[in-house]
Amino acid sequence: MVTFEFLDWLWIVLFVLVMVGSGILFYRLGKRSESDFFLAGRGLPWWLPASSVYATHTATDTPMWVTGVIYRYGFAGIWYTFFSAWCAISAFVSTRIFRRSLAYTQAEWNTLRFGGLGAEMLRGWISGWQVFMNMFILGWVGMAMGKVCNYIFGWDLWVGLILFSSVCAIYVLAAGYWGVIMADFQQGIIAFAVIIIVSGWGIAAAGGPGEIVSKLGDMGLSEKLNPFAFSGWFTGDFPIAWFITMMFIAILGGFGMGTSIDWYAEAQRIQSAKTVRDASYSIWWGTALVLIRNSVWAIAVLAFFVLFPNISNASEYELGWFRLGFDYLPAGMVGFFFAAIIAIHISTISTHLNLGAMYFTHDLYLHYFKPKATEKELVWVGRVATFVLLIGSFFYGLMMEEITSWLIFALWLMAAGIWLPNILQVVWWRFNAWGYLSSWIANLGLSWLVVWILPHFGIIPSLPDYQQFWLLMLLGALIYLPVTFFTKPEDMNHLVKYYVMSRPIGWWKPVRKEAERLGLLHELEKISLKGV
Amino acid sequence: MAFIRRDWDPVHADEWTKEDWIAIVLSPLAYIFLSIGTGLSILLLPIGFITFSIGIVLTILMHYVIDPKLKMISSEFNFLVRSDIEITCHFASKKILLYSN
Repeated sequence: MVTFEFLDWLWIVLFVLVMVGSGILFYRLGKRSESDFFLAGRGLPWWLPASSVYATHTATDTPMWVTGVIYRYGFAGIWYTFFSAWCAISAFVSTRIFRRSLAYTQAEWNTLRFGGLGAEMLRGWISGWQVFMNMFILGWVGMAMGKVCNYIFGWDLWVGLILFSSVCAIYVLAAGYWGVIMADFQQGIIAFAVIIIVSGWGIAAAGGPGEIVSKLGDMGLSEKLNPFAFSGWFTGDFPIAWFITMMFIAILGGFGMGTSIDWYAEAQRIQSAKTVRDASYSIWWGTALVLIRNSVWAIAVLAFFVLFPNISNASEYELGWFRLGFDYLPAGMVGFFFAAIIAIHISTISTHLNLGAMYFTHDLYLHYFKPKATEKELVWVGRVATFVLLIGSFFYGLMMEEITSWLIFALWLMAAGIWLPNILQVVWWRFNAWGYLSSWIANLGLSWLVVWILPHFGIIPSLPDYQQFWLLMLLGALIYLPVTFFTKPEDMNHLVKYYVMSRPIGWWKPVRKEAERLGLLHELEKISLKGV
Repeated sequence: MAFIRRDWDPVHADEWTKEDWIAIVLSPLAYIFLSIGTGLSILLLPIGFITFSIGIVLTILMHYVIDPKLKMISSEFNFLVRSDIEITCHFASKKILLYSN
C-alpha cells in the first residue's frame, strides 16, 4: 500500500480532468462523419499519429514486461522489446502501399488486394478476429491496471479494471478517433516526461550511472551491461539463433502487413495521416520513441537490480520500475506518478476501443449489413460498438487468469505460420486469397501439432520458440504454396486497379505490363504531371 | 547525375528505386544504434555516446535520401485523390474509377 497526500490526490484529479476534457473538446469534429469518428478525416500532420503510436504502445503492462526481461537477462534483454522494429522498413514500404490504397482497415485492404468470394471470406474473418482481439487486449491491459491499483491501494482487481477504462470511454464515445488522438498527444508527453523523471530518480537512488556499473562489476555481473551477452549459438536460454530469428521476424516483417499484432493499430494511424509522407514519419518516429523509451526503462531496471539483486519471484521483480516510483519519489510526486500511470493506461484503452469499433462498424455493419447507412448512423453504430467492447473487456479481464495461456498460444500461432504469407500478399502478384486463407487455416492445425501434440507423443522434441517459428513457416509453405498454384490467379482487372493505386513493391511484372497495355499508367502520368 | 537523386518528378517517384533501398537499409540500423546508444549513454559509457551519435547520423542520412521522394509521392497522390479520377482505358474501352476517397 502507498500513502497519498492531499497534493497527490490533487494531481490525479487535475490530470483526469485534463485528459478526459481534451478528448471531449473534439466532440463536434468526431460526430461529423464515419471518416472523422475513425480516422480524424485523414488530415493529421505526422507528429499527431506518431505521438499516438508512442502513447498506445506504452501500456500499464509494458513496464512490467520490460522489467521482467531486463531483470532476468540484463541489458541484452532489450532485444525482446525489439519486435516493434518492423516499423523501420514498414515506414517506407508497407505504410506507403497501405496509405495509397485508401482502405479504412486491413480487412478492407484484403478486398482491394484480392477479389471474389475468397476476399469476402478474408474480410469477414479479419474483421471478426480484430473485434475479438481488441476486446481481449482491453481486458488484458485493464487487468494490468487492476493489479497496479491492488498494489498501490489494496483495491480488488476489478475496481482498477472497470474504473479507469470507463473514464477513458467517456471521450472515446463522445469524439471517437479525434478524442483518441488529441488525448494521446498530451498523454504521450506526460508519460514520456514521467518515465524520464522516475527512471532518473531510480538511477540516482542506486547511486548514479557510475555506481550501477561498478556495483554490477563488484557482483561479478558486468555482462548484464552487454547488449550482446548471449548464452551460445544454440545453447542456454538466450542463444544467438534466437536473436537472429527475432531480428529476422522484426525487421523483414516491415515488408508485409499484419506481420506484427501492432500493425492493426498502426494501420489506423497510417490512414489518419494527411499524406503518404506524414504516414511514413508517424510510424517511424512513434516507434523510435518507443525504442528509446525501452532503453531508458532498461537502465532504470538495472538500477533496481543493483538495489534489489536477489528477487527470484518474477511477479515481484516485474513490478520493479513501479516500485522505483512509489518507493523513492518524494511526497506530492507520487500522485504525479500515478496520474502518469493513468495516462499510460487510458492511451492504450482508448485506441483499442476505437479500433475494435471501427472494424465492427466499417467491415461488418456497413459492408455486410447496411451498405447504404448514413454518416450519422455510422457514427452512432461506432458509439454502440465502443460501449459493447468496453463491457466485453470487463468480462475478458475478469476471466484473464484462466485463459491467458490459451490466448498467448493464440497470439503465437497468429504470428508464426502466417508471417511469410503476410509478406507475400504485399510483394507477390500471384499470391491469391485462397493461398492466404489456407495459410491461416493450416497454421491453426500446424501450431497445435508442433507446439503441443507431436512433442506430447514424443514424435518431435519440445522445441524452443524460435525453432517452432522456422518449422511452422516451412510446414505452412508446403500447404499454401500448392493451394496458390492450384487455384486461379486473382482477376487481372482487379489486380491492375490495385497496382495502379498502391504501386506495390516486389514481383508485379505481369500486372504492370497489363496496366501499361491498357494505357492506365500513361494516363495517370499525364494527369500527375499536370497537377504537380 | 548525383548518386542520390533529390529532384523528383511524379512519374519516377512512383517507382521503387535505389533511394528506397538505401532508406530500407539505413532505417533498421538507425533503430539499433539509437536503441543501444540511449541505454549505454545513460550509463555514461563512452561507447554509448559513440553508438548514439552513429544512430543520429544514420537517421539524418535516411531522411536526406528519402524525404524529397516522399514529398513528391505525397503531393502527386493527394492531387490524384482530390481529382476522383475516372479513366477510360484506351484499349479495353472500359471505365475504371480510381482514387475515390
